[in-house]
Amino acid sequence: MSEALIRYEPVPETPCVAAGVTISLAGPMQRFALRARRAEDLETVLKVRLPRHIGASEAGIACLGPDEWYLRAEAGATVPTDSGLPVAITDVSERSICLVIEGPRAAEILMSGCPLDLDNFAVGRATRTIYETVEVIIIREAEDRFHVELWRSFGAWFWIAITNAASH
Amino acid sequence: MILIHCPYCDEKRPEIEFANAGQAHIARPIDPSGESDADWETYLFIRANPRGRHHERWRHVHGCGRFFNAVRDTVTDKFETTYKAGEPRR
Repeated sequence: MSEALIRYEPVPETPCVAAGVTISLAGPMQRFALRARRAEDLETVLKVRLPRHIGASEAGIACLGPDEWYLRAEAGATVPTDSGLPVAITDVSERSICLVIEGPRAAEILMSGCPLDLDNFAVGRATRTIYETVEVIIIREAEDRFHVELWRSFGAWFWIAITNAASH
Repeated sequence: MILIHCPYCDEKRPEIEFANAGQAHIARPIDPSGESDADWETYLFIRANPRGRHHERWRHVHGCGRFFNAVRDTVTDKFETTYKAGEPRR
């Protein structure tokens, strides 16, 4: 049913290309908010290993807090939810969009509005933080490529802010 | 910008990611209906408001999301230490 609906994205589908950086919208994906007191319970349900250190990410799963993980998978992916174990697995796929910031100036552009020191942010790290006034999850996929997860409703404003920073 | 050490993330993070949540170590009475009006008023409204060393709750709201306790000097705005919720007063 949902395939028949027209997808509306809050940011242009044409990437923003500026000197040393390209900002583009990532395709649709499946996102899950995972909560559990004990990581072992989630591991039993999902049958994967979870990163235990806050800020680490592993195989698409980022550890955001002591009892919170964020799973990103390809569109259409499903996870078991009826385990009986004390875990919360919530599909939040359409809550966020993902922007890909790529190029040698990627870290510099993100630091225009984010107070973290991204030059010393290792590849594979993921954290929730702030860009300008928008809460985002920043994931460093490669030396010159970041994924920025942000709530869909902040997309239009975030796009203006970051493309402005990129063009300066 | 002040950097605040989050005891859960175990690193210094920018102040903008945090929210202050008032005085720390105020335990809710076990039996609220057994409290006298004066004790209940004290629990609800009466705060230390010191000039100097102050125990406060903070929340790493735009980070790991956790509440923790901090000792901050209200004059200099310097954080002396931070520690996890549930740990004894420092």
